[in-house]
Amino acid sequence: MSDFRLSEMMVVCASREFKDNTCTLIGIGLPYVAGVLAKMTHAPNLTVITELGAIASNPVDHAIGIADPRSWYQAKKFGGFLDTMGMILHRGRCHVGLLGTLCIDAYGNINTTEVLVNGKPRHMAGSGGANDIASRAQQVMVITRHEKRKLQETNHFLTSPGFLQGGNSREKAGLSGDGVTRVITDKAVFEPHPETKRLRLRSIHPGIPREEIVNETGFKVEVEGVPFTEPPTPEQIRLIREVIDPQRLYT
Amino acid sequence: MTNKIVSLKEAVEQIPDGASIGLPGFSIARNAVAFAHEMIRQGKKHLTLSSCAAGIDAELMVAAGAVDHFIYSAGTLDKYGLVYTINRHIDQGKLTTEEHSMLSMELCYLAGSIGISYIPCNSLLGTDVLKKLLEVAPDKVKESRCPFTGEKQVLLRALQPDIGVVVANYADAEGNTVVEGPYWNIKEMAHASKKILVIAEQIVPESFIIQRPEMTMIAGVLVDMIVELPWSAYPTSVYRRYDYDDKHLRMYTQANRDEQKIKDYLDEYVYGVTDHFEFLEKSIGYKALMEQMAGPHKGY
Repeated sequence: MSDFRLSEMMVVCASREFKDNTCTLIGIGLPYVAGVLAKMTHAPNLTVITELGAIASNPVDHAIGIADPRSWYQAKKFGGFLDTMGMILHRGRCHVGLLGTLCIDAYGNINTTEVLVNGKPRHMAGSGGANDIASRAQQVMVITRHEKRKLQETNHFLTSPGFLQGGNSREKAGLSGDGVTRVITDKAVFEPHPETKRLRLRSIHPGIPREEIVNETGFKVEVEGVPFTEPPTPEQIRLIREVIDPQRLYT
Repeated sequence: MTNKIVSLKEAVEQIPDGASIGLPGFSIARNAVAFAHEMIRQGKKHLTLSSCAAGIDAELMVAAGAVDHFIYSAGTLDKYGLVYTINRHIDQGKLTTEEHSMLSMELCYLAGSIGISYIPCNSLLGTDVLKKLLEVAPDKVKESRCPFTGEKQVLLRALQPDIGVVVANYADAEGNTVVEGPYWNIKEMAHASKKILVIAEQIVPESFIIQRPEMTMIAGVLVDMIVELPWSAYPTSVYRRYDYDDKHLRMYTQANRDEQKIKDYLDEYVYGVTDHFEFLEKSIGYKALMEQMAGPHKGY
């Protein structure tokens, strides 16, 4: 097993899920590193779209976010929300959305709007495009640090839909797509149970003790018999460290 | 042709208290900063602002107490932080809001821009974002079903601000307006608005516009007022003109976390200067400003 950082493990887990010749809406940061890694390995024809209107760009100079022109470099098309969020995403043509979050609940629902601090609501960032991506992408992945306060049984506020109350409640609400198919943390990977849609462990990252998962997850999880996550390959590690994020801004 | 070219001061004088204003920025890109400063200096009150991803322009007007109501989808200054002052005003009950998703807000503008009264959307369903919108704006948002397919949908009332503010790369004297780079909601926001105010980095002759008419985002006939003002989005960026100012944004996101510090910021950089050029001299100066100019190759 090669030596790797847990942030690199997260990137590799997300990267593996991108298929070639597909379309993804992602932000900058770990999602961006994952997208580029997929492009440099198994998915050279992955089209990366940023919600504000840059399509198929090759971000340069350590772009800080989607509002940074560095992340629009070498785009093949510039447009607006109608082009990206409308004619691609709402139209059903975005295969995978990769989102970050403040909190996620046991049914993959996302909260980026407000949190409780000493019992009082404190306003944070809001939805942005996340609600649209979670509502309309064919598949959604969520990437987050694994902390008890971030993974709770229920959210204080439901900003972007996962499986709502579980079962077929997502479909009944009128939402399309497969919903949140992966939740990738720095300790494990979750997937929804095929019927109840409750998140369950798919794999635990190598080196993470099982009791740590139980202690750091705010909802009940079964750790017995869960396999280890396949570690990154030496080539994936090399690409992340030497080519994609040599300054370790994100990893 | 009537002369639509006015000074920023004159343009802002036309905007009454209580007006609703569509802003052009997205986070740290293309904010109507000079416009916001002038609105604050002229003491405007009771405004309704709409902004897809709230930035410095909206936040400064909120900080100055000029804003009663805010329609938006997200507030973030990218890696620099959140719009802490707007958040504080919401938490303290000083600012009422309608919070959308990025697309639902865009569709409100789209409906407004083509003159239809509402538009259906398949986002928002099943979430607290929708629940809260139904609570705070029952006259603007409804849950319904498509009359043809029966699928569940959210119906969104058209949004038509009194004034749409555009920060443009170029405009000619008639108002034919060029916005370079990605443009998020600017096209729909402007066309939805009852009046369009274009703040252009540079006024160009008509002969420039007619060489590449496909570059024109807004036809001049639709534009009401044109202001020529370079660096009007500083310290945010305008693609192919200038970069955002890392140093100023770092300083700003220290100030906006604290009630007193944001007041001090307003005193120094807004009330403490007479116009945008004085702000530029005070906040960055000529030499450093020139270093922010976009390169011809990468556009920033």
